[in-house]
This record gives sequence, C-alpha cells and structure tokens, in this order.
Amino acid sequence: MLSCQKDSSSDSANPSTEPDRKALLTQWADSVVKPGYKNFNDKFSVLKAKTTAFTAAPTTATLVEARQAWQQAYVEWQKVEMFEFGPAETVSLRNHFNIYPTDVAGINRNIASGTYNFELATAIPQQGFPALDYLLNGVATDDAAIAQQFASSEKHRRYLTDVVNKMNETFGTVYSQWNGSYRDTFINNTGTDASSSLSRVINAYSLYFERFLRAGKIGIPAGTMTGNPLPEKIEAFYHKGTLPLQLATTAHTAVQQFFNGRTGRPSLRAYLDAVGAKDSRTNQNLSTLISDQLKASYQQLSTLGPDLYTTMRSRNADAVASYNEMQKAVRMIKVDMTSALSITVTYVDNDGD
Amino acid sequence: MQGSPLQRYFQTFTPAAPLATFRLAFGLLVLASVVRFWAKGWIAELYLQPKFFFSYYGFEWVKPLGPYTYGLFVVCGLCALLVALGWWYRTAAVGLFVSFTYIELMDKSTYLNHYYFVSLVALLLMVLPAGRYFSLDARLSPGRWRSQVPRWTVDALRLLMGIVYFYAGLAKLNSDWLLQAMPLRIWLPAKNDLPVIGFLFSYPWVAYAFSWFGAFYDLTVPFFLLNGRTRPWAYATVVVFHVLTAVLFPIGMFPYVMMVAALIFFPAEAHERFLQWLRRGFRLSSGVPRPAEALVYGPRTRKLLLLGLGAFFLVQLLLPFRYLLYPRELFWTEEGYRFSWRVMLMEKMGQVQFKVVDGATGRARLVNNYEHLSVLQEKMMATQPDMMVQYAHYLRDYYARRGVTSPRVYADAYVSLNGRLGKEFIDPTVDLARESDDLRPKPWILPFDDEIIGL
Repeated sequence: MLSCQKDSSSDSANPSTEPDRKALLTQWADSVVKPGYKNFNDKFSVLKAKTTAFTAAPTTATLVEARQAWQQAYVEWQKVEMFEFGPAETVSLRNHFNIYPTDVAGINRNIASGTYNFELATAIPQQGFPALDYLLNGVATDDAAIAQQFASSEKHRRYLTDVVNKMNETFGTVYSQWNGSYRDTFINNTGTDASSSLSRVINAYSLYFERFLRAGKIGIPAGTMTGNPLPEKIEAFYHKGTLPLQLATTAHTAVQQFFNGRTGRPSLRAYLDAVGAKDSRTNQNLSTLISDQLKASYQQLSTLGPDLYTTMRSRNADAVASYNEMQKAVRMIKVDMTSALSITVTYVDNDGD
Repeated sequence: MQGSPLQRYFQTFTPAAPLATFRLAFGLLVLASVVRFWAKGWIAELYLQPKFFFSYYGFEWVKPLGPYTYGLFVVCGLCALLVALGWWYRTAAVGLFVSFTYIELMDKSTYLNHYYFVSLVALLLMVLPAGRYFSLDARLSPGRWRSQVPRWTVDALRLLMGIVYFYAGLAKLNSDWLLQAMPLRIWLPAKNDLPVIGFLFSYPWVAYAFSWFGAFYDLTVPFFLLNGRTRPWAYATVVVFHVLTAVLFPIGMFPYVMMVAALIFFPAEAHERFLQWLRRGFRLSSGVPRPAEALVYGPRTRKLLLLGLGAFFLVQLLLPFRYLLYPRELFWTEEGYRFSWRVMLMEKMGQVQFKVVDGATGRARLVNNYEHLSVLQEKMMATQPDMMVQYAHYLRDYYARRGVTSPRVYADAYVSLNGRLGKEFIDPTVDLARESDDLRPKPWILPFDDEIIGL
C-alpha cells in the first residue's frame, strides 16, 4: 500500500519531501534563530563598548562612533525582532527593545529624577533603541551640543548606560536560553496545537508582520488607521535620513527570508509544498503565491526612499500603497498559510468551522 | 391487541434497563464535562472576561450572569448528578435542560454540535420515563418503580442517535469531502508526528481513505447498530472511530459522548447485566424480587407525549435542510449551517478589519478587534457573517458612546475555505451598522466564485 505514495503524488504539489516539522524546527533553531541572535549579539557588544566609551569621554568623535554602532545594531535587530516566541516572549524582549514613538517627556523625567523601573508598563517607550535614538540624536540640535549635554550631565550619562544595560540584561537572558536547554525544548515540541513550537512561531511571525512591520513602520505614520499622516511616529525619528527606510526594508527582507529559507533546506515555503498546499480554484502553489506577494510588497516598500519621513508627507499615497501591498501579504500569511499548516490558535474545543 | 403493525408497535413494552443505564451514563458524562470546563478555566475565559457576547437570533436576552455564571454551572452539574442518580429525576432533567441550554445560548462563538446534542438529549430525558428503574426515586417511593416501559421511549433515543450519524454522513456527500479529501488533507498531515500511525498522515491517499470511510461509517453505522448480528462489530468501529477522532482533533468530549450514547442500541438484557454488575459492585440490595410492572400512560398523556415526540423528530429531520431556503453556497455563507450535524466538515479561516466612519465628519478609524473580542470570538466571527453584523452593531454603539456621530461600520473581510486561496468575503461598501441580523439571506456576502457540489 505504501508504494502508492509515488503515483498518488500526481495531484499534490510534487512533494520533494514529506512534511517534517522537527526538521523545520531544527533548521529554525540552529540555522536561523541562534545565528541571528549571535550576529545581533556581536553588533550589540560593539554598541555597548562604544556607548561606554562615549559616556567615559563624551566628545563629538565618541558620539559619532556610538551612533554608528547604534545604527548597525538597530539594523541587525530588525532581523531578529520577529522571534518573539519562547524565551523572548517570556521576557517581552520587544517591549524592552523597540517600542516607539519614544516617550521623550518620560525620558527627561527619568533623567531628572534618577529613579526609574524599566519593568513598568509605562516605562516601555522610555527604553530600547528608540530611547537611544533620542539620546544620541535628539537631545540637542547638533553633535557638539549633544556631546556637551552628556559631558555636563552625569544624569544623562547614567540614563544612557542604564538603557544599554537593561537591553544587555534582557537580551542576555534570551540568548543564553537559546544556547542552553531551550533549543531542545523548541525542536521537540513538534505538534500543531496552540502551545506547539510551530503555532508559537507562526503566531509571532504573523503578529510581527501585521502589527510591527505593516502597521508600526508604515501604516501608523502614513495615517492609515486614522486618516491623518503622523510622520513623527516613524522608527528612528530623531535620526531620520535614510535609516528609517533601511530599518523597514531590512525587516521586510527578514520576513521574506524566513518564509523562503534556503534552497534545499527546510522552510515554511518547502513545508507548504510538502503538504501540497494549493489554491484549488487555480491550482497554483500557495508557496509561490505568498512568495510573489512578498516580493511585490518589498518592491512597493523600497520606493519610499530616500527619506521615509519626507515621503510620509509628500508622497503619502505611495506609503498607503505600500501598506496595502503588505496587507495583502499579511492576509495570505495569517489566513491561507495558517489554514494550510492546520495550527490551532486557541485551546478551546472546536468541531471544525 | 389489534390494528396495523404501527399500532401494535406503539403497544409494545420493553425492559426499562436501557433508559436507566443511559440516564446514568449521560448524567455522569455531562457532570464530567462541567467539571472539565471549569477546571480548564473556560468559564472565566469564555463567559466572564469578554466585553461582548454573540447571542442567537431570538435569544438576545440570554447573557452570561457575571460571577453568578459559576452558579449556573453548579446548577447544571448538580442536575446532571441528580439525573444520573435518578433522584428528583423529572425536576433534575428539566433543570439540566434549562441550565445547559442557557449556557450554550450565552455566546454562539462556543457553538459545538455535541453541545447541541446534549441539549436535545436533555430535552428528551425531560419527557422519557428514565427515572422509574434503578433510581433513587424508585427506591425511595417504590410505588413509582416500573420495570417495563413503552418501547417507543427507548427507540426515541435510538432515533436521535441515528439522525445524528446519518445526517453527519449526508453532510459529507459533497465534492470537497469526497473528491478533494478536504479538509482532512489539510488536517491529517498536521498530525504526522503521532507515534506508530503518524507517518501515514503525510500521504494524500490516507486522507481520501479517511474521507470515504468517514462518510460510509456515518451513513451506515446506525443500521449496523440496530442489527443484532452486526452490532458488536459496529460498536467496535464506533469505539475505534471516536478514539481516533479524539486523538486527532481538539473536539473535547464529543467522542466520549457518542461512544456512551451509542450503548443505547444494545438489547435490554445487556443493560440489565450491566445494572446487576453495578448492584453487586456497590452492594445495592436488589430488594424483594418483584413481578415485572409496566408503565402504562393514560390515553391523554400518551397522546400528548407521542405528538410531542413526533413534532420534535419532524423538526430534527427538516431543520438540517433549511439551508435549501438560501440561494447560495452553504459553506461560504453559513446560512443554515448550525444545528445540522455538520461536524468537522470545513477548514475555514478568515481575517476581518472593521472601519468606523463618523457620519458627520467622515473621519475614519480602524478597529483593533483584540481590544474587544477574545481570541476565540475573533476567530469565529472572522468567518461567520451573522456574527460580523452583531459585532458591527456593538461597534456602532461603542463608538456612539465615545462621541462619534451616527457611526457607519464597514468590514473588509478575507476568508479561505477548504484550501481555496482566500478572497473578499463581505461587500466593503455596505454599512453593517444599518444591516439587521435576521434569518433572511444576506446579500452583502460576496460571491464564492466556485462550486461545491453535493448536499
């Protein structure tokens, strides 16, 4: 009986392999998440060193170096922010790293009072990369003035150090768990119920794409939620220039790469092919449809340069169009892909919708 | 005795033991369901935490009772226990039906076919003489004891079981199920990590085999259970089939309910042996052996009961076909989908974005569903148009209270069904705040653009 798998495959999308969730999870753990965190850790160590150097001797030169390290770490962060499952979910890594617009009034209050608790909900927008954006780019009008501000204020230096330390501490927990026992826990939870690794990953992935990439980076500043453009809500607002779009395109590329994977290696794309996911109306492979839509969405996003802040005002329609292209991809991921993977989102009984 | 075979049938008596074991098993199972539901924290999650509940058409007054909802579950569990014991049987059966049905009517996002089945059985138990034998009532007032009951009282339960299976089988006779092996072709590979048999689920032919066997099983098992020669084998397949579904799908108590309820098909002697075994096990005295005594209804009671049961079964036979009154694809619109034994039939998923527009200023804002609905509610609402209207009305009132002038509510919905790529589901230009949720066809559901042939 088993031999008929060969000929019965004529109507399924030439399954090069059988759907193997353990192989997929192993690939994600060992070749995506852990190397991603390793690369980020390297960049973040430089940021730590450079901010330490800056606070030790605040000059224009050390400021520029710290800023450069911040920029590079921020770009690298875009490749790992979507991994908010497992240890990152437990410590709410994103809340400590990248919630913006940053709360400038709150930051200034914290600096003045010298007492703050980064675990409080109100402190979420007072830390992470957006807080560093303000501290390194926005506390004064030019580099000399910024360096001067830190040279003259011990409280500013302390706040900068504390923000970086908090990031270091939070990320350190996540990083060491992935390098410790969590990796095995992750790859051995091969089911498809709401607590399975696959379900947690897909949940984090689609949530990230929908809320933090589509809405956070483009939709909200473009005003799609409210009807009014709010360009001051872009990521890296105090730095501006080409960085905000670079962050967005890096994040988008990471989302695409996570879907497509590498040829011949397990990936969402290969898994969808292995389960034979097709649009039964047109007989097209779902993996191709999603991959093509992601390409179209990236294409539209990449036209928003060079300066995203200006584009939000001057070419708002383009920003809205980019949001709409992303929305199409979000739906395919949240609805079509999730359905094809047959993962459940709640623990409550159901008898098939 | 005279008259037609049918008249003779209605004059026949049968031992009361099957009703007694059914009552006992069913009561304990419902009690277990209530305990399980409570232990999983679902009372709070499903009935206390949400800000909004999706009521059924005509039952808008049925709402969760705040913290008293726990009391409702206590009443339900207690009534189930009393039914099992046969103590204050009639009152307990009424209490069970009312409390259980009330719970199910509180929010349609928790709709499950087997909850509906439990409600229907509880309704039947209210009128069937299941408390006259092997019950505390009969022990405490021996005058109420009856060892024989009219045969149709036992057959009523068999008929209900038969309808459930047969209609579930009919619902599978469609092109998606039989020709595409959908949705099992999606669901089975997701279970290919099960020990021993898991690897089989990677193969499409297994999904086809399961689909065809499932349809055949549902359509025929009531008949095989009725026939004495095939019954043991049929019951063995009932057990295997339902254990398999319990392992494969998150359907909670349903497999156990069906496994236990199907025991009603066994002959009276088997039930009597089981009760004897219980008597010995619990050291219950059988008392002085009494001559068999039949429950004979007065002519008016009897007529009323038979008319009531006739009406009940007529509704049961017709209700699943009400979808024929609606013009478009049932699986897409879900008009007439519930209460029809359509179990595990679709893989349907959706996403819906609501937009609220100020009627005076034209200012639009997008709604974050998760601020208003639970994960389960949002998931259910995203594929069911009647729930979308209800939610739109809630949003209209919510935003009106927050100062939006005559809010207009639009839905941008995207739905995928049985592996078809998702498509627009709702006309995004229709103001759902002004549409009503009633039983008429909903013209603002966009076309399915495909065909599912069959029942």
